[in-house]
Amino acid sequence: MKKTFRTLFSLSMVVMLLLQGCGSAKKADAPFEPKYDKDTEFSLTVAGSYSNFESLEAEFERFYEYYPNASLQYVSLDDYNNTISSALVGSEPPDIFTTKSSMIGDEKYDDMFDACEVLSDSSVDIDYSCIRSSLIRATDAGDVVMLPIFTTSYGMLVNMDIFEKEGLKVPTNYKELVSVCEKLKSAGYESPVMGADRFSGSGLFNCFVYPMYAYNVIQNSDKVNALNNFEPSSGELMRPALERLDEFVKSDCIDVAKCQEEITDEYEQVIMRFFEGDVPMMFAAGDTVSGTAKRESKSDAFSANPFKYKFFTAPAGDDGGYFINSISICFSVNKNSKNLDMANEFMRFLISRKELNNMAGLKRLITPTDDFSADEIYSAIADIPDKRSFSDKETGLLDPAVRQFRAAIYAVGNGTMTVDEAIAAYGSIPEE
Amino acid sequence: MRRGLIIAINLLIMGFILFFIVRYANEKADESYENGIIAFEKMTVTTNQIIANYLEDEQHLCDIWANYVNFSAQEGAPMTDDEAISFIRRAKTTPEIQAHLIFLDSPKRAGISTTAKVSDPDVYDVSYKNINIFDNIESAGNSNDAVKLTRAYTNPMNGVQSIAFYNFVTVLDKESGEQKSGILMRVVPLSSLEQKLVFLKGEYENVEISLIDKEGNYVVRGKSFKNSNFFEYFKSYNKASAEEYGQVTGKIAGGTGTMTIKNFKGEDCILSYTPLEIMTTWVLLAYIPAKDLVASRSIDWLLLGIASLGFLALLIFNSVVMMIYNRELSEAAQQANQANEAKSYFLSTMSHDIRTPMNAILGLNEMVLRDSKDDSIRMYSESIRTAGSTLLGIINDILDFSKIEAGKMELVNVDYSPASLLNDLVNMIQQKAEDKGLSLNLDIDRNIPTTLNGDEIRIKQIVINILSNAVKYTHQGSITFSVHAHQIPDKPDSVMISASVADTGIGIKPEDLDKLFVAFERIDEKKNRNIEGTGLGMAITQRFLDMMGSRLEVESEYGKGSVFSFELEQKVANWEPIGDFEEAFRRSLSERTNYREKFTAPTARVLVVDDTSVNLMVFVNLLKRTELKIDTAESGDEGIALFAKEPYDVIFLDHMMPEKDGIETLKEMKALTDTPNREIPIICLTANAISGMREMYTNAGFDDYLTKPIDVEKLETMLLQYLPKDKVKLVEDDAEISFADEKDESELPEFLAGIKEIDVDAGLEYCGDSEDYVETLRLYAGSAEKKAEEIEKYWAERDIKNTTIKIHALKSASRSIGALELSELAARLEKAGNSDDTETLEKELEELLSRYRQLAVELEPLREQEECL
Repeated sequence: MKKTFRTLFSLSMVVMLLLQGCGSAKKADAPFEPKYDKDTEFSLTVAGSYSNFESLEAEFERFYEYYPNASLQYVSLDDYNNTISSALVGSEPPDIFTTKSSMIGDEKYDDMFDACEVLSDSSVDIDYSCIRSSLIRATDAGDVVMLPIFTTSYGMLVNMDIFEKEGLKVPTNYKELVSVCEKLKSAGYESPVMGADRFSGSGLFNCFVYPMYAYNVIQNSDKVNALNNFEPSSGELMRPALERLDEFVKSDCIDVAKCQEEITDEYEQVIMRFFEGDVPMMFAAGDTVSGTAKRESKSDAFSANPFKYKFFTAPAGDDGGYFINSISICFSVNKNSKNLDMANEFMRFLISRKELNNMAGLKRLITPTDDFSADEIYSAIADIPDKRSFSDKETGLLDPAVRQFRAAIYAVGNGTMTVDEAIAAYGSIPEE
Repeated sequence: MRRGLIIAINLLIMGFILFFIVRYANEKADESYENGIIAFEKMTVTTNQIIANYLEDEQHLCDIWANYVNFSAQEGAPMTDDEAISFIRRAKTTPEIQAHLIFLDSPKRAGISTTAKVSDPDVYDVSYKNINIFDNIESAGNSNDAVKLTRAYTNPMNGVQSIAFYNFVTVLDKESGEQKSGILMRVVPLSSLEQKLVFLKGEYENVEISLIDKEGNYVVRGKSFKNSNFFEYFKSYNKASAEEYGQVTGKIAGGTGTMTIKNFKGEDCILSYTPLEIMTTWVLLAYIPAKDLVASRSIDWLLLGIASLGFLALLIFNSVVMMIYNRELSEAAQQANQANEAKSYFLSTMSHDIRTPMNAILGLNEMVLRDSKDDSIRMYSESIRTAGSTLLGIINDILDFSKIEAGKMELVNVDYSPASLLNDLVNMIQQKAEDKGLSLNLDIDRNIPTTLNGDEIRIKQIVINILSNAVKYTHQGSITFSVHAHQIPDKPDSVMISASVADTGIGIKPEDLDKLFVAFERIDEKKNRNIEGTGLGMAITQRFLDMMGSRLEVESEYGKGSVFSFELEQKVANWEPIGDFEEAFRRSLSERTNYREKFTAPTARVLVVDDTSVNLMVFVNLLKRTELKIDTAESGDEGIALFAKEPYDVIFLDHMMPEKDGIETLKEMKALTDTPNREIPIICLTANAISGMREMYTNAGFDDYLTKPIDVEKLETMLLQYLPKDKVKLVEDDAEISFADEKDESELPEFLAGIKEIDVDAGLEYCGDSEDYVETLRLYAGSAEKKAEEIEKYWAERDIKNTTIKIHALKSASRSIGALELSELAARLEKAGNSDDTETLEKELEELLSRYRQLAVELEPLREQEECL
């Protein structure tokens, strides 16, 4: 109950904060005006979990145009989730650090969030109105201490050249998917849809039906608590998604065994298999898509025969796909930073439509701003109607509940459980 | 040279110097850059050593801990993990360094730390479950590397980027009571290692040191490297083929070296690499932006800037000085021009002022020569003509030279008769040669074509100059004038004329030959001071020959004589040879007459306008025998009045007249419409004969011009050109002469033909007609005795000067009556008198006087005849 209350309170506070931010949308588009003397000498360290963060380093360079004597560096921390708290109180604390939406509300990170600058404080002067409101997270106290930099989603990569070659349109609902798959199958594509048969969020079953499930949960928000509390009867809410999944894996759309055989991880293998050029649709999460740009040159097949590809929502629903937007990473400022003013200044620079779009474009993740057109690969998302577009946070599902659903689809998708069995076992379905 | 050109050349030189400096500076900078790279590579190797020493020291400390713990185990009293950590806690002195004792076999790769977790002071447990640094621990453990080191990682106890030195220890498991293996790690903050490299900051501010393993994975990563793997980083930002990429990875993994790579900004960077001595699997990378190694280049640019400014200042200074000098030079040039204009004005004035009276002198003298019957007067008159011609020659030389100097002398090529030219030349020079007792030998090629094309006037001037010089500087002996023609191969239309004049004169010293063609320079001035001349003749001759593409050759032997020669290429208009010129000349000589008009034109009318009445008289008298009707006017206005009402065929208009000059008069005449003379030629009479006059007069509207003193030949030629043909009747020389001969001979007393001493034809030629001849013979005979006595008297007194003058008169008088042999004898004695040769006079004077008296006796009938009449 405490968690539920905390979540609802947070959401209400977010709404209030967003109402405040919306009025200054134009301000976010205004060119960055340095607040301090441009000759100010300072250094900042940004800590994160990415082993390298080129898109951020590109922003460092852009920031140097305003502060040429600044020195910013990115430090990758091992075992980030466990070491960031220590780092913040250690001898070499970072000035800015990455956070995840899942961290908020987790007691483990309370100390970490205590060390965060309140970015919604007017004195900090950061205008985040350009960020989609559904992506703003706040503490119990209603303070915004983290701002999303990248977001992700679940869907599929589509080889546009194959569709053009076969004279087909990318399916927008399940019926079309089945129809298109039949045609592709007859055209010689053994498994028109592929993906990594993995338990994780990037696994093919999750990419296919989790958005559909999440939408169903939002539509039945009165049952969210029951789901989070693993009440056995609440598992019934999974039925539409599980049945659609069962129907899907049994159709000609996908050859799961082939997927298991040819794609052994949910990242590198997904991309490299897709670049072979013979997979019309590849289920993937946005995090996986972010790795495509670098791997184009690593794939001999793609280098020899490059093709155009885009990201689409998975057409699991009868009316169409669902765009569920999850925060990939956020940035927080260490309020104990020796260069707090300049850390806030960098955040003030970074939190703008232009810079966030720029970073997302370089990273090939989904921008947190309301402008999807900046990156062509994600441009199709803009076509999803608002009704079927939502944030994962809106579901109210807690991580354990999400993991139970993931366990259910993993079992059904791989045929280890029937739909009924999975529904009946909700709360106790074995996880990986 | 124009100022712009000078500035351009200066700028060019400046540019060249600057280019040289830039190139030199660049070469030096490149050299410095190369040296910088070498030094940087050396620094990398030094750094390698420092890092190696540091790592070895740290490893050694780790090993001491491990050895102590292991020694306890070897002694049979193994430490527990708590005891081991407690020992190390006591042993280590630096707070930032931690020791972690990790048991890889435990599920979470857990262990114990010497230092509590910063976020929870009660926690000493440490886990490396999610920190992937032990993957290669077994292979690393088996290696022979002196240092066992992890990659840089995040210390889970304090979140600080660290490296860990490790060794294997054996401790006692408290729970099982058995010994178990663990890894003892000496965890050192990465910043400690970086501090060891602080010495680099002075020299290489932006150097970044990285350590990578053989696969390119970073152990320690420089800030500028973006990817997690160096080779990936290289591939991302450097365009390289698979082969090149392989070479790069091979080089870096294989030894020490330096290469240039692009960083993520596309900038050139220098990367030095060397394998870590103590860990064969690790490579040290030293990275620095290339521009940091070429900082000294900016100093060269500063020098270049200073040099450029210096050159510019020098150019401006020089330009100012040059402008000042130019201004002074310009003023000097202006003064020189003014002086030159004054000289031209002087020449013009001199030309006019001398030629105007000369016109009167020579014109009237010509009248005297024509009309006088008195032998002495004719002789004096002849002298006046000779002296006048000499004076005119000098003036003409000066004027020609001024023309040449002004670059206004032009050649006018016309068809001409070489025979006629030679005839004129020989005529002009023979008398002078004879007067000096020199023999003129002719050697004229029979095959010279009849008609050539060239500037006849200038050729004549050239030869006259040479011949005149030969006569002037030869006191005895001969002058040989040779002209030959040669075919020119490949030029069928032209012939090469070779002319030479050889004399037996005084000759020229070799050292004086160069002076020969210098204007106003006279050779052997002291010796030749009595010889008239300006010193311009040879200079003008050489200039003319230059203009004709030839040059004057001189061979001379001092005291013996000289040979002047030249060759001229002339176009041929008629190849028919001239034949035996000497014979033709002798014949023409014998047929020579004093003067004969070229034509008569009794119906033609000429108007001549001149403010000097004497000149008008000369003009009229010169043309008397042409029977032209000549009206005269003494002013421009008077001339215009006549022009308006009387019809004329040609008008001669003097230029220099008071009140209204010739050009103004001409303009008014041309402006008149109501006149019968609208289309008739108007010729300018001028004493101005300097260069540019022709252009000036033709531009002013004159049809032609004629210089004064008037040469009757030129005047008649000009009239023949401009008078209407139907009004002109040409005089047929032969017919007139034969008619005259018949007429004269019929009137001559017959006994004259029987006198051997005289040649009647020659006498008639000199005297003009038989009447004049008979009268001359009477005068000759009548004065003979008196003159002979005077000669005897002067000779008796040994007054050689007056004796010679009288012999000279006898010579001229005898020739004028055709007593040619007697005249030649007198000439010989005159020469003897001039050279104080008394011996010859003594020997031959008596014969001369005897023959003189005998001739007078033989002519006595004429006197008697006169008395009878």
